[in-house]
Amino acid sequence: MEDIKTLAEEIQNQYVKKWRDEGGKVLGFSCVATPVEIIEAAGILPYRIKAMGSPEKELADAYMSRFNCAFCRSCLQLGLDGTYDFLDGLIETNGCDHLRGMFENWELVRKPDFFHYLRVPHFVRDDSLAAYEEELGLLRGAIAESFAVTIDDEALNAAIATSQDIMGMLRSMNGLRERGEPAVTGTEALAVVALSGSMPAEAFKALLEEFLKERSDAKVGEFRARLMLGGAATDELYFVEEIESLGGMVVADALCYGSRALWRLQDSGGGPLHQLAEGYLHNLTCPRMFKHYEQRRDFILETAKRAEVDGAVLIHNKFCDLHAVDNVALRADLESEGVPVLLLEKDYGAKADMGRIKTRVQAFLERIGR
Amino acid sequence: MNMQLIHPYEGLFNRLSGILGIIPTLPDRLSDEDIEGLARLLPAEMSKTLKAVLEPGMREASLAFFKAVGTWAEKAAHAKENGKKVVLMPFNFAPEIIYMFEKAVPIITEGITTLSTAALDKQGDKYWDFALSMGLPDTLCSASAIEIGSLLTGIDFQPDLILSAAPGSCDDNSKIHEFTANYLGLPQIMLEKPADTSRRAQELYLTYFKAMLREMEEFLGEELDEDRMREVIEKANRAHELYDELWEYRKMVPSPVPNIFNLYIYGTKYTVWGQNEGITVMQKLIDTCKRRVETGDYPAPKEIARTYWAYLFYYYDFMEFFNWLEKRGIAIVGDLPSTWFTKRIDTTSKESMTRDLASNSFDYFMTRQIGGSSVLLNWCDDIIWACRELSANALIYCGHHSCKQTWSVFSALRSEFMKRTKIPTLLLQGDMWIKRMTPMSSLHQQINEFINNVVARPRSSRK
Repeated sequence: MEDIKTLAEEIQNQYVKKWRDEGGKVLGFSCVATPVEIIEAAGILPYRIKAMGSPEKELADAYMSRFNCAFCRSCLQLGLDGTYDFLDGLIETNGCDHLRGMFENWELVRKPDFFHYLRVPHFVRDDSLAAYEEELGLLRGAIAESFAVTIDDEALNAAIATSQDIMGMLRSMNGLRERGEPAVTGTEALAVVALSGSMPAEAFKALLEEFLKERSDAKVGEFRARLMLGGAATDELYFVEEIESLGGMVVADALCYGSRALWRLQDSGGGPLHQLAEGYLHNLTCPRMFKHYEQRRDFILETAKRAEVDGAVLIHNKFCDLHAVDNVALRADLESEGVPVLLLEKDYGAKADMGRIKTRVQAFLERIGR
Repeated sequence: MNMQLIHPYEGLFNRLSGILGIIPTLPDRLSDEDIEGLARLLPAEMSKTLKAVLEPGMREASLAFFKAVGTWAEKAAHAKENGKKVVLMPFNFAPEIIYMFEKAVPIITEGITTLSTAALDKQGDKYWDFALSMGLPDTLCSASAIEIGSLLTGIDFQPDLILSAAPGSCDDNSKIHEFTANYLGLPQIMLEKPADTSRRAQELYLTYFKAMLREMEEFLGEELDEDRMREVIEKANRAHELYDELWEYRKMVPSPVPNIFNLYIYGTKYTVWGQNEGITVMQKLIDTCKRRVETGDYPAPKEIARTYWAYLFYYYDFMEFFNWLEKRGIAIVGDLPSTWFTKRIDTTSKESMTRDLASNSFDYFMTRQIGGSSVLLNWCDDIIWACRELSANALIYCGHHSCKQTWSVFSALRSEFMKRTKIPTLLLQGDMWIKRMTPMSSLHQQINEFINNVVARPRSSRK
């Protein structure tokens, strides 16, 4: 496991280096609404931009303000300081107001060779689904033209199959977490999912297969309570580790960089782009979607019940109003279903803030009698 | 619990409509003595506002504006007894679209907050506090959270529907309105702006716009009537012509347009556009400007700066703030909400009206810039155009903590703007609707320093 955690925390890990050394291209994206299958089908490595709790922001702060989410500023910092220079291009999405600013500044300063704006609708309706499918077609065309590759339906279907395999395996890993006696910690699970977005699919599958085999009969140590973690972009492994060090085992999550997007493809007919549009938009369990609250609530409630959690910790990064507002509604709905909730505002990548966070979590564990 | 904190008569809209409802009963002309008498009846803050807006040079226009918004508030307050539904919506949507329906009247979240900030004793602070007490974050926009805070108490005047066109251009605004609709069990209609400026995006927006109209028709049980549409739109078109005429006055040096008129322009646009009152106010604004041109009346010895405000300005002391600037020769030649890229609507047919309404809605303030392909470039291009048109020599951005989209690109915008225009830029920070965030004295000081040391002082005399 130590390997996976180390690999997850490295921005450019050995697999990415090897891919590039062999002449492979890498495209960066951030939002979970980006269909990686299109990038995979082009023979390009999709890389989900992350900051893994990096606290540095001084370059980014010259462009974005302190009223912007620190996660986006940390990612921008890594883009500006050259850490992400191994990317051959960027795919922007209108994930949220902060993310748009991050991409605009990144593009302005670093001028990547390839930059494409994938516009993701905020609603799940027939007209917006059709618009999104058209957007995916534009993305496919832009990648094909810029990288002089062909992205045919056959390649897309193969990429979709691989992606679905991986999602299925990640769901199996979550099954191991959710057991009465969990076999995987929340920190480990977050590391695995974080790594899934930053290495070639086949290599990741092999690694994950080995991990699942190794953990099938394992048991994590003693703990006080079964917790669910939900909310905003959180790829800081130390954050989950600290919560678990208090005895709050994170047996389930509904995090943006966690288990929120491990959906099953439904055969809705149509070609692969149509299937991707349906799959991604329907399963975008993110408060950036509107008139979709019930879906988010049900997903989180189902997760909490399936994992038999003692309580839920709903977090948001300071200035992320989408999650902060949604969490208020979720708290009411979860508590009315008998799931105690702790709302936590955190500053991304601020380890100095962990003392306060730990005190709140300790108090919560006491409140729920654990 | 709510009942213990806030009583029905203390709800924000209830209080505001109570006060504004009195204004239409006032005569069109008020003497200095009348105003002095009125001021004595009011609490200190309200009295200050009253005196500021009714300064002799703009008294008639101010009265026309406040009478218009008084009528608007009255219509909403009595809508239910008149068999109409009240539609609450954020400011980036045209009220004339609501007026096209026989059975609906619009109220505007930020309009209520802004007017309350001017007219109510202790402004909107307690409603903001109430919203925060529910766990909502203090990083929300106070323009919406103040009125929403009052609504969430559950005992203020309640709308029948929430309609939001903010998705795609403001996360904060969209999310708090969605939350409120869910919390209060109100129906909601939302219109998305694709983050794009292409022809394809405009066509997609038209599809969404038509779907929104159908939802409205279904909710109200009323099919849009072409004649009524035309009647409302012709009034909106007439008011738009007057806006264009006023734009010409705004170009003049020194500016004959009182600073506060920027607010009156969009205050009118957001409340009574498409109504007779909208035309009346716009005409009064022009009459005042015309008179000032004829008499050469200007409140300061000299116009030393022509400022364009990149987004909004400060409202919590706004009546005095405008006059404070003006008396120092600092003109506000424009701000983003009073700079329109909308057009006259073709009233030939229902389809032509619908298309042009959608097109104007696409180009509405904030929707156009922040909901564009690039927040930075769309916003920057529009500001540069306006600054050149209006001969601005200073740009001011009054950053509100909640404006995550504008804050995220303002640094780059400032560089780009200054490179292209050579116009100096001042970045301020403060909440426009809550006075306890940044004291007005601090803002005065920063503006004074910027204007006196950078804008008004010749470059050669600087060391």
